[in-house]
Amino acid sequence: MRSRKALLFWYIILGLIVFLTLFSSVLAPFGPNEMSMDEVYLAPSGDHWLGTDHLGRDVLSRLLVGGKVTLTVASISVLLSLIIGIVYGGISGYFGGVIDAVMMRLLEALITIPSLIIILVLQAFTQGSMWHMALIIGLTGWLVTARIVRSEFIRLKDAEFVKMAKMFGTPIWKILFGHLLRNSIPAIFVITLFNFAGAIFMEVSLSFLGIGIPPAIPSWGNMLYYAQNDILIGAWWIALFPGIMIFMTILAINFIGEAWKNPTWRRLND
Amino acid sequence: MIDVRDLSIRINDKQITDHVDFNIPRGKIITLVGESGSGKSMTISAMLGMLTTDINVSGKVIYEGRNLLDVSDKDMKSVRKKDIFTIFQDASNSFNPSVKLGRQMYAYSGGRIGDTTDVFNVKMLPVLDKLGLSWDITEQYPFQLSGGMLQRCMIACAFYVEPELLIADEPTSALDMVLQKQFIQLLIQLNEERGTTILLVTHDLDIVAEAAHEMVVMQQGRVVETGTVETVFSQPRHAYTKRLLESRF
Repeated sequence: MRSRKALLFWYIILGLIVFLTLFSSVLAPFGPNEMSMDEVYLAPSGDHWLGTDHLGRDVLSRLLVGGKVTLTVASISVLLSLIIGIVYGGISGYFGGVIDAVMMRLLEALITIPSLIIILVLQAFTQGSMWHMALIIGLTGWLVTARIVRSEFIRLKDAEFVKMAKMFGTPIWKILFGHLLRNSIPAIFVITLFNFAGAIFMEVSLSFLGIGIPPAIPSWGNMLYYAQNDILIGAWWIALFPGIMIFMTILAINFIGEAWKNPTWRRLND
Repeated sequence: MIDVRDLSIRINDKQITDHVDFNIPRGKIITLVGESGSGKSMTISAMLGMLTTDINVSGKVIYEGRNLLDVSDKDMKSVRKKDIFTIFQDASNSFNPSVKLGRQMYAYSGGRIGDTTDVFNVKMLPVLDKLGLSWDITEQYPFQLSGGMLQRCMIACAFYVEPELLIADEPTSALDMVLQKQFIQLLIQLNEERGTTILLVTHDLDIVAEAAHEMVVMQQGRVVETGTVETVFSQPRHAYTKRLLESRF
């Protein structure tokens, strides 16, 4: 019972974050890039709730708009990795045999290379815009999804209901979508949630290193990057609030993912 | 009705079944008895043309004058769709867990013989009624029903399709004793009322005694004994059959 309430809390937190960032253009009190040299490094106050940064930009406004950028990049990349993962894992799991062996060895080879390195290389080519970021994170994030889809397909393709369907000549696409993919959705959903948290983290880390989203666009990672210097002069608010947002978002997604991982819990809510 | 002659199945160099011969007479309940690994299920799969191409099958399965091992894919599909209905061991795995039963039962019955959903709704209602199932189950998911009920849903589809031959591959091994008995009664009912020929694969001799007219005993890929249930039970000839009968409670 207690965990049910805790889960509700995380749903609300995540919903609130998504709501705030979704309507950031309406909710932000100032323009995210509106500079005012008279108001640099103002501490949180009635005018600027969360203070201002080194160019006099309102931290709250940047936080909201930056959230939109971060979450958009994460969503697009997760969608992309989901599609690649399902297709790759699906082919590997359904056909099996030599195809499966080759595809899985390739995948294992890719998994051993830290995705950060691949991303760094790709970033050097694309010179990073927001869309390129999403593309790159998506292209490197599908490996685990593919493995999960593969194992689900292998488990399901020998199930008796699939045998029954094959027996009276159900078309292959119907078996793939209606029987295999449809019954893999719970597992895919959970892994996608964790991927989403991972993608947020990836954007933040890259931007924090200064190789992510271009500096002109506010994102949570970018804000942290610029806050590195500001901390030294005591402007703690510039780093703290994006930090809290990142922390809460990833935490909320992970708690929700953990809950969905548990099938008995899922069943009770059907 | 179906004549299995000289059916041998080989995977690589391993002989799974060796010159299996038996005959399924029309309108009878015939059981295929044998320990696990004796090649019962493989024989069934071979008859239905469900084995993968890397498995070597030789011999003949004569059905209505045609050898099922030679017919085209299209003809085989039509036989599997209309003439033969198969029930597997565990009904809870025979239904797709994420689709409502109504839709699946339609796919397993009306859909395969070309009826529309309207026809299905009209024809299925009395069948479910007769089997003691309410129409509400069509709106439920498989995990909401017990194994016994799901197996009855499967039988309902068989009643609907009225196939020439019903193949049941150890249909009762996932059920408790009471449900087993009920299920066997339903099979007998199907056989007596509609004249459906039934091939029952089992290792349970009580079920054989209860339901079957004829039996085929398999051991290690060979048929060691065939005959009517009365003869085999009263005068078993092969040592393995004798041992089987002795191990009965």
